[in-house]
Amino acid sequence: MGIETSKGYKQVIKWLKLSRKKPFKFQTDAWQYYAEGYSGLVNAPTGFGKTFSIFLAVIIDELNTRADLEKIKPAKKTTGSKKKKPEGLKLIWITPLRSLAKDLARAMTEVCAQLELDWHVGVRNGDTTQNEKLKQKKQMPEVLIITPESIHLLLAQKSTFNYFEQLQCIVADEWHELLGSKRGVMTELAISRIKGLINEKNPERLLRIWGISATIGNMEQAMDVLVPYEDLLKTIIRSDIEKKIVIKSILPDHIDMLPWAGHLGFKLADKLLPIIRKSKTTLIFTNTRGQAEMWYQTLLAKDGNLAGLLAIHHGSIDFELRNWIEDSIHTGALKAVVSTSSLDLGVDFKPVDTVVQIGSPKGVARFLQRAGRSGHSPYETSKIYFLPTHALELVEAAAIKEAARTQDIESREPVVMAFDTLIQYLVTLAVGDGFDDEKIFFEVKQTHAFRELLPQEWNWIMQFITTGGDSLTAYNEFSKVTKVDGLWKVESRQIAMRHRLHIGTIVSDAMIKVKYISGGFVGMVEESFIARIKPGNSFTLAGRVLEFIMIKDMMALVRKSKLKQAISPSWMGGRISLTANLGSILRKKYNETLDKAHDDEELDIIFPLFERQAKVSHVPKSDEFLIELIHTRDGYHFFAYPFEGRQVHEIMASLIAYRLGRIKPISFSIAMNDYGFELLSEQEIPLDEENIKDLFTPKNLSEDIVASINATEMARRKFRDIACISGLVFQGYPGKYIANKHLQSSAALFFNVFSDYDKHNLLLRQAYDEAFYQQIEEPRLAAALHRIQASKVIIVKAQSYTPLCFPIKVDSLRDTLSSEELSQRIERMTAEAEKRNVKKNKYQKE
Amino acid sequence: MIVNCSGESLVLSKERAIYWEREHMLIISDLHIGKSAHFRKSGIQVPDTVGTTDLQRLSSLLEEFKPKILLVTGDMFHNKINSDALAFSVWRKNFPELSVILIKGNHDALKNSDYADLNIEVHQKELLCKPFRFIHDKPTVFDEYYNISGHIHPGVAIYGKAKQQLKFPCFYFGEHCSVLPAFSVFTGLKMLKPEEGDRFYAITPGKVIQV
Repeated sequence: MGIETSKGYKQVIKWLKLSRKKPFKFQTDAWQYYAEGYSGLVNAPTGFGKTFSIFLAVIIDELNTRADLEKIKPAKKTTGSKKKKPEGLKLIWITPLRSLAKDLARAMTEVCAQLELDWHVGVRNGDTTQNEKLKQKKQMPEVLIITPESIHLLLAQKSTFNYFEQLQCIVADEWHELLGSKRGVMTELAISRIKGLINEKNPERLLRIWGISATIGNMEQAMDVLVPYEDLLKTIIRSDIEKKIVIKSILPDHIDMLPWAGHLGFKLADKLLPIIRKSKTTLIFTNTRGQAEMWYQTLLAKDGNLAGLLAIHHGSIDFELRNWIEDSIHTGALKAVVSTSSLDLGVDFKPVDTVVQIGSPKGVARFLQRAGRSGHSPYETSKIYFLPTHALELVEAAAIKEAARTQDIESREPVVMAFDTLIQYLVTLAVGDGFDDEKIFFEVKQTHAFRELLPQEWNWIMQFITTGGDSLTAYNEFSKVTKVDGLWKVESRQIAMRHRLHIGTIVSDAMIKVKYISGGFVGMVEESFIARIKPGNSFTLAGRVLEFIMIKDMMALVRKSKLKQAISPSWMGGRISLTANLGSILRKKYNETLDKAHDDEELDIIFPLFERQAKVSHVPKSDEFLIELIHTRDGYHFFAYPFEGRQVHEIMASLIAYRLGRIKPISFSIAMNDYGFELLSEQEIPLDEENIKDLFTPKNLSEDIVASINATEMARRKFRDIACISGLVFQGYPGKYIANKHLQSSAALFFNVFSDYDKHNLLLRQAYDEAFYQQIEEPRLAAALHRIQASKVIIVKAQSYTPLCFPIKVDSLRDTLSSEELSQRIERMTAEAEKRNVKKNKYQKE
Repeated sequence: MIVNCSGESLVLSKERAIYWEREHMLIISDLHIGKSAHFRKSGIQVPDTVGTTDLQRLSSLLEEFKPKILLVTGDMFHNKINSDALAFSVWRKNFPELSVILIKGNHDALKNSDYADLNIEVHQKELLCKPFRFIHDKPTVFDEYYNISGHIHPGVAIYGKAKQQLKFPCFYFGEHCSVLPAFSVFTGLKMLKPEEGDRFYAITPGKVIQV
């Protein structure tokens, strides 16, 4: 039976007609499937009303239910004049970002009002006031927009089960964002509990679970992670509409305008200004917060007219300030905003008609997401400019264009077996109404994240939260979760309070708030950064030059500095690695450049550089593996180009160094970028055509990795987050003192203690697993080695640095030299290489 | 390792203690007995073995040096009497001859009667024993006494080639003041920046080395 004949559908269509709108096919599909009781995943480009596909489905269902009720009890005379009592939660809408909630709630409330539906739309997240939360406790709104963390907080309250009696549907918005992180696991667990609660009370009740996602490589898997339940019908609804995206590179007049190696891209700033001028509002994306600060300064210095019309937005800028900037984008008051990934997601900024990406976005999905920030309305074209920061990035631009054309988009790997998150979840339940371990084990086992959970692992986790650990290690006097009336509960109010304060899986570095001495917050910087600054010195934040005065009450007090320029704080994180997809397209583009078998203007521009590379060395084809050996004053260089991304190269470099070390004792300094890596040694490297394939063999890979890298060190780094999430270490919040001084400790300390005294600790195992699969990416490394085995190895002994190796060479300097000297040194080295080429050419001519 | 300090010869043990032979005195600091139990009581999983290991290490030090006095320059107990503290009281009975002196630190909050029960002599602020002043945290004004203190859990970094860096607990000897490493293994480190005239002795797994 079609939904078209239903009362609710007609009502919605009528309402849409009023504003001259017609639903898209994927929307009516979603409504139909929803009506039939399906769960699933909606995938459509941004700007086409993904939100309405599910939200209106729920509304139509509600309108129909009411119509049916009226049929059964036709307008029964109500005795009292009392309004109908609200029934409570009908729809839970999970969003990854707080900033999205406000606008969503506004839009949803509007729809309800216009359809004359007496629903309330509530928001619940870290910014929700206590007063509002109390109101919700008394009477839940029908629609609740919430973050994964806040759902867990809801589960950590007493008698939550009442909230979900009328719940019809849970929606995970921007599911592709949550999927690859532990926040996705939190979402999975919360859904499993809510579904379980409903099932306990009324096994016949249907709870639908829907996800909304941008296009990713593994849509099917994304749905299975969100809806792993066999009792639910599920489907993926894809829109057949294609979002038009225009990608344009900002090209230099001549390739020599661009440096060979990664600068900040300022050389092309003059070409960016006209683009900003002719657009309504431009979003300028950079890859790091430091880069954003510097571009902000540069643009202002280049064009004074931008003062007051240019803003800077990143995660370390104060919440209020960010809110103001977002509002100003809405109203069109700003001409341009320099931003990091902090504006990647979310609400549509209507005035934004142009997006600029500075430097490589490192992945197709991220690039397309950013492109989608412009031209947000249906059928409007998204326009994105790519501004390369060094010459070789032009090839990346061509690769990304191709990937966008062929929709070759990366997958997001869901997180599995995150014991830390499971431990946190169980304590959350114990803080709330308590839990029955058999029931919860069954529920947890159903989720995708813990499908492989073994009974003994579950037992260990139960021991960990009840007795402290397995019986081999004594944990006297341990108290956290205890059994009360058949349910596992947390009885200590202090423990409960501390737990509630740190629910969540986002662990940040210790941050310190920055405040003007005259009042007003600017933002946050890392504590380690401020520790290095002496009073009286200046730094930039939020585009302002600030003079540091002192630290007081865990806040850095500053005043406006008279200086025009100062150092920018370097925030940790930063370096994102190239994805495998992009790597393989990149190899293909190298093929095409010299053959001229393409129609990419970027590749035409870079052609002279490739000619130079071909002359002094070789341009690797996609079935070739290039190795360059160069002997300079610095020593013997060994460059290899697998094009697999920085992260894979880091491990591969130490692997090859280790294997070379077995031939003869030798020490290396290692450098890498997204294209390749370098090993540098004082002595000649024992390498020739004969042994090269043996060096890159996938045989004994795991053993050699363990031997070649410091796995313990990597695991220790991973353990930092794990210790926080599982509640071993309490970080506190920026600007707030850690509540209990007697309970201070560090993740590193716990790592040592467990390594020494409790080896069977599952959290330790998780740290090593995460190191191997996320940091080391062993499967990807193995695949790369297999590919190298199958390709033709080309070894070139070059006379001087080649255009390909140069960026790697420079990258290796970055660690030891300050940025000023670095730029000088780069200049000098470019000149040297150049001079040698000129000389060589002359020599050849003569 | 033996160092000379204000004319006295002091043995620095890699088990994070100083032995002052002339006075037959073993000096340690920041024992933090009961810290692990305090964590466990608050729902944070720290194995018992952490506390018992500390006591075992102390026992072997006593066997090695056979001191008459064990001096603790503060933070002997972490917060309150708990199972770890009870383990200490059992341990204490094995060494009835040993006199234990405590200079109170910021964490020492046991009742006076508890200290008496454990046969510990308590000094509220400091103990003067020429040429040294033993005190929990170093004083702000200096006099003729050389200060030996604890409190900050000092650590020092050793730098190698290729940006390698290793951190160790250490003994610090400055112009007016020296700082002992924290005795307990369940403690963090505060990294110190060397200044002119400072001496650092890093405690590596094998031995104590001057940095």
